[in-house]
Amino acid sequence: MNKALKDYRTWCLLLAVLAMLVLFLYPSKQQKTPTYNYTFIIDITRSMNATDYQQDNQAVSRLHFVKQTLRELLQKLPCESKVGLGLFTERRSTLLFEPLEVCSAYTEIDTAIGKVDWRMAWAADSNIAKGLLSTLEMLQKSDSSLIFITDGQEAPPVNPNYQADFSAVKGQAKGMIIGAGGLQAVPIPKFDSLGKQTGFYARDDVPHRSTFGQSNLDPSQIKGYNARNAPFGSEAATGNEHLTALHETYLEKLAAESGLAYARLTDLKNLNQALQNPKLATEKVVQSDIRWQPALLALLLLSLVYLPKLHKFRPLFRS
Amino acid sequence: MNLAVNNPWALTGLLLALLPLFNSGMRTSPAPWTALIPRDTLSAVVVGCLRLCAVAAIAGLVLGIAGLHRTEQSQERIGHGAHIVLLLDRSSSMDNTFAGRAPNGSDESKATAARRLLTDFVKQRQNDLIGVAEYSTSPLFVMPLTENKNAVQAAIAATATPALGFTHVSKGLGMAISFFEQQPVTGSRIVLLVSDGAAAIDHDSEQKLREWFKQQQVRLYWIFLRTAGSPGIFDQPEDSRDDNAGAMPELYLHKFFLGLGSPYQAYEAESPDALKQAIADINQLENLPMHYIERIPKQDLSAACYSVAAFLLLVLLGVKFFEVKQ
Repeated sequence: MNKALKDYRTWCLLLAVLAMLVLFLYPSKQQKTPTYNYTFIIDITRSMNATDYQQDNQAVSRLHFVKQTLRELLQKLPCESKVGLGLFTERRSTLLFEPLEVCSAYTEIDTAIGKVDWRMAWAADSNIAKGLLSTLEMLQKSDSSLIFITDGQEAPPVNPNYQADFSAVKGQAKGMIIGAGGLQAVPIPKFDSLGKQTGFYARDDVPHRSTFGQSNLDPSQIKGYNARNAPFGSEAATGNEHLTALHETYLEKLAAESGLAYARLTDLKNLNQALQNPKLATEKVVQSDIRWQPALLALLLLSLVYLPKLHKFRPLFRS
Repeated sequence: MNLAVNNPWALTGLLLALLPLFNSGMRTSPAPWTALIPRDTLSAVVVGCLRLCAVAAIAGLVLGIAGLHRTEQSQERIGHGAHIVLLLDRSSSMDNTFAGRAPNGSDESKATAARRLLTDFVKQRQNDLIGVAEYSTSPLFVMPLTENKNAVQAAIAATATPALGFTHVSKGLGMAISFFEQQPVTGSRIVLLVSDGAAAIDHDSEQKLREWFKQQQVRLYWIFLRTAGSPGIFDQPEDSRDDNAGAMPELYLHKFFLGLGSPYQAYEAESPDALKQAIADINQLENLPMHYIERIPKQDLSAACYSVAAFLLLVLLGVKFFEVKQ
């Protein structure tokens, strides 16, 4: 018996058995990990069809890129995180489904994001400020953070006199505005009723100003102004509204007004970083498996027992 | 048996399992001349067994660390059920009550009643695959056919948000039928249309829908939430001048559905109770035998690996005390 105890191998085996005992007694550790609850609202207005993203050396539309990036992001979210999906067009958004746990409903969420299409739009204007406001009001009671993905292109451009007032929701809202698109203005593709591209929107195809209400300019500066018949003057408005670029300053302004954060979508890595904002995370206690630690110790101890004797190899090391 | 590991790189540790083949792991005792010791088969067998135990123990630990598991399995079973696509009307009028007013404390809106009853319906249909599509001015793809009832409930719950534009039923139907593409034909295939209004369908769409209904063998249930005072689907026009799809879209949509050639049933619900009855009927009728896939979730095998390794370690430790003393 004493002889056995003098052998280091016995001690190694004994410690290995003890390590296994620890393994069965304490298999897991409580650990706090950040989990997320996002409601993605995707802008599906026409300007999102502009192709100014590159993927595998091919120009892809903003909408396609957004969808692709979100689907990849879905794989990176930790389990117990939740994702809901909605669409924005016109002056409001609609929710397709409430936030779902990402690991158990991965296929469903992934398919639904993949099926988002610009043809789902129920109306054709785009007033992002009002849309953002109505979305924030809609999500006020939910504890999900709003991730509003848009290019900031409005049609028609909003009259500064009639801006959305975010004071009611500021401070309660949690979330981010994600700007999609490039800073270079590009044309907006035009499609026929069967979904085939028939060219691009031309200058005459789109309104270049909103003609609702009163003009924001001083009447004396408007050519042909008539308070009743021509509050916006007699000249046709011209502009570059048929081209689209990411309106970053506008989105930053909206973000500041509504108390959201802003980030630009360039790739998955940068989106992932932006969304891992600690403000949007909730710490959840999860049981994490730590059995590998004692198992590794036991493995090393057991290997030590069967390690080939070094003196056998001594002749090899002698020169 | 589809085995997989979480950390494939950890499998390199399996090389350690070769160690016991080169070393007995026992203390050597000096002997004047080993050739003097007689051959002993039993000893050789025992030593071999112990080495195998050590190999197995190391392998067990390594596989445990690598996170050995059986991947999610699916098993085909036969049960009763259906593939159901819920096609929900999101037009603005759904936000009014059955009396056509804005909802107040006592009356719930048509959308709320539909949501409440559909939630119950989904709960009762355990074996079904259920998908959700919505339509207003354009069709919305919401949830693919899935057995995940939580996902379906989340989609139904999301209809609590304010409704959208107009009623464009033909596109909605087209999208609902598209759910069945690339799905095996088994059990019954149902489109459950819940709407409070109808719209004329143009000739081209009619043709296409007829074709698709036949192709995909879809049965149609239409639950028409009738608002008081509005024309119903069974009303005949009093004036022959009103006998057209523009004036009586409900009647004409009903006639079109009757002429589809595939099984069709219409319910006209004028109150939440009538709606409940319609849903109960469907629940009873649609229980054809169906092949369905039962998923067996992924099974963790690392616990088994660790147990085996721990047992073998105990054996090895025990045997240590039986070594020759000198």
